[in-house]
Amino acid sequence: MSWAASPAAAAGGAVQGEEIPGPRRPAGRGRFAGGQPRLRSASTVVSVAGAGIVWLALLGPVIALLTNLSWSAIVNSLTAPGALVPLAVSVESGLVTLGVLLVVCTPLAWMLARGKLPFPRVWETGVLCSLLLPPLVIGLLLVFMVGPYTPIGELLGHFNLSATNTFLALVIAEVYESAPYYVLGAQAAFASVEPRLEQQAGLLGDRPRRVFRRVTLPLAAPGLAMALSIAWARAMGAFGAVIIIAYHPMGIPLQIYTTLQETGLPSALPYALVLLVVALPLPLAAYIWSARAGRRRRG
Amino acid sequence: MLDADVEVDRREFTVRAALHVAPGERLALFGPSGAGKTTLLEVIAGLVPPRRGLISLGDRVLTSTVPPVIALLPWQRRVGLLRQDPGLFPHLSVRDNLCYARTASPSGSELSALASVLGIESLLSAMPARLSGGQAHRVALGRLLLARCDTLLLDEPYTGLDASLRRTLTDLVGSLIADRSIPAILVTHELPDAQAFADRLAVIDHGELLQVGEPNEVVLHPASRRVAELVGYLGFVPSGDKMAGIHPERVTPGAFPDQGLVLTGVVAACRPAGAGWEADLRVGEATITCRLPDRPPISGEEFAVTALDPPYFGSDGNAATDTSAEGALGRPEQVHR
Repeated sequence: MSWAASPAAAAGGAVQGEEIPGPRRPAGRGRFAGGQPRLRSASTVVSVAGAGIVWLALLGPVIALLTNLSWSAIVNSLTAPGALVPLAVSVESGLVTLGVLLVVCTPLAWMLARGKLPFPRVWETGVLCSLLLPPLVIGLLLVFMVGPYTPIGELLGHFNLSATNTFLALVIAEVYESAPYYVLGAQAAFASVEPRLEQQAGLLGDRPRRVFRRVTLPLAAPGLAMALSIAWARAMGAFGAVIIIAYHPMGIPLQIYTTLQETGLPSALPYALVLLVVALPLPLAAYIWSARAGRRRRG
Repeated sequence: MLDADVEVDRREFTVRAALHVAPGERLALFGPSGAGKTTLLEVIAGLVPPRRGLISLGDRVLTSTVPPVIALLPWQRRVGLLRQDPGLFPHLSVRDNLCYARTASPSGSELSALASVLGIESLLSAMPARLSGGQAHRVALGRLLLARCDTLLLDEPYTGLDASLRRTLTDLVGSLIADRSIPAILVTHELPDAQAFADRLAVIDHGELLQVGEPNEVVLHPASRRVAELVGYLGFVPSGDKMAGIHPERVTPGAFPDQGLVLTGVVAACRPAGAGWEADLRVGEATITCRLPDRPPISGEEFAVTALDPPYFGSDGNAATDTSAEGALGRPEQVHR
């Protein structure tokens, strides 16, 4: 059967689930006209349905969390004495971690993106190595690196500091777990800024620092925000390295783990919700903001 | 005064040039694609380091490869370079792009006057992604003009613009250069653009500066056969022991021995061109192309035309000394390597 269709063939198409564009479109869909993708054909329906299934499957754990929580369990867990201390610990250490990443890793990412470093492959391999190490292994190795009987540990001791079971240890563990994600994301963000634009700003009389502030940073900002929010999610959820070198002070992931060990599954769930609610707003805000920045640029 | 005497290594050849542009003067750098024109501008702007060279602008030395070695960074040079890629900042509106340079603090009326000459007054609040190629180019030109640099280097600034806008912009840029009394260089591979813009024309090919002179003088009295080819001489016919260069637009039908070289041949092909006709005329071994007001006879009969005061070239390719080659403008200025 060819596409040179008679009205009968068109009707056959409709039977197969194809929608005929034009006057036969249901009137209720009019409000989606302009911008919204419309369900035009069977293949569109199938692909949207497939995407929906994958999306729901990815969301499955969250759905399970929400369906297995009861208000009384949430209230009981969160009103227990000291129940919100781990939340404060997680948020504080997470914010400090973000600060460290911003100050220490942003210049590295910029130099990687602009090829300012000799033997760039060596540098990138190093970043990838730290990405590939499982968090638990990072924790073990951190003991050998900053533990009390190491040179670094002894140096810290001189300042009455310790990187074992302290807030400092927690931050160190979170930095190591999240840094590679931030470096790689920020590198991609800087690489997306065309060097010609920076050159152009220089030709218009801007010294390099002003070029960075007026051109490079604004153009890389959406990507940097996404990288930072991924790093934030890693830091908030950091567990493997944390359980080895920073069992105390206890953040939310360890609180979930110990509650699970001590009182069982149902009482651990409210803390999972807390982790989700606390960790989500920053990535969400970054996502919305970078999408708006992209829209603004397109005019 | 902009002085640049540089040698720059490129992959295939070395670009060698000595350019001197007086304040308020407009020099057109004309040559085929890949001749090294853009490279020269990038060297002056400090984007490409020369192997050897001395560049000065006014009383400031921008680049010097002999002690004391000087290599000012692009942002220190106050050299305005308009590149073929407009390079608008995508996160800034057209207005913010125009006012980007710190030296640009236009009053509202100055900004709107410039925007209206450039034909972008309705686009001031638009984002660059919304602009067409020609509009983006005009915004980039406006941004450069507002930046008030000490010299203007324009690399093919009229790409993608229609003829009337070209004329408007040429006039605008020309008057700004005169007002500010700054040296300016225009790079182009279109001879009409170069002639419309320039006080002086420099012909460059394969990295070598072949001839510098008044535009008309260069076109009427090319210093060499290569220059003649570049400025539009399409046919070369032997005349005695020399070759006469025939420019299609400097041919008139009929035999007028007192006005130049009379050529007699057979029309091999002809086609409409503009308001007249373009014909290929076979003269002995050579074929010349000429623009004629009327359609020439194509029946195979002999047809005589006069090449008006053609330039002659010796066997070495350089302009030959000949009474008929000496026009009212005098001898061309030959640049020796």
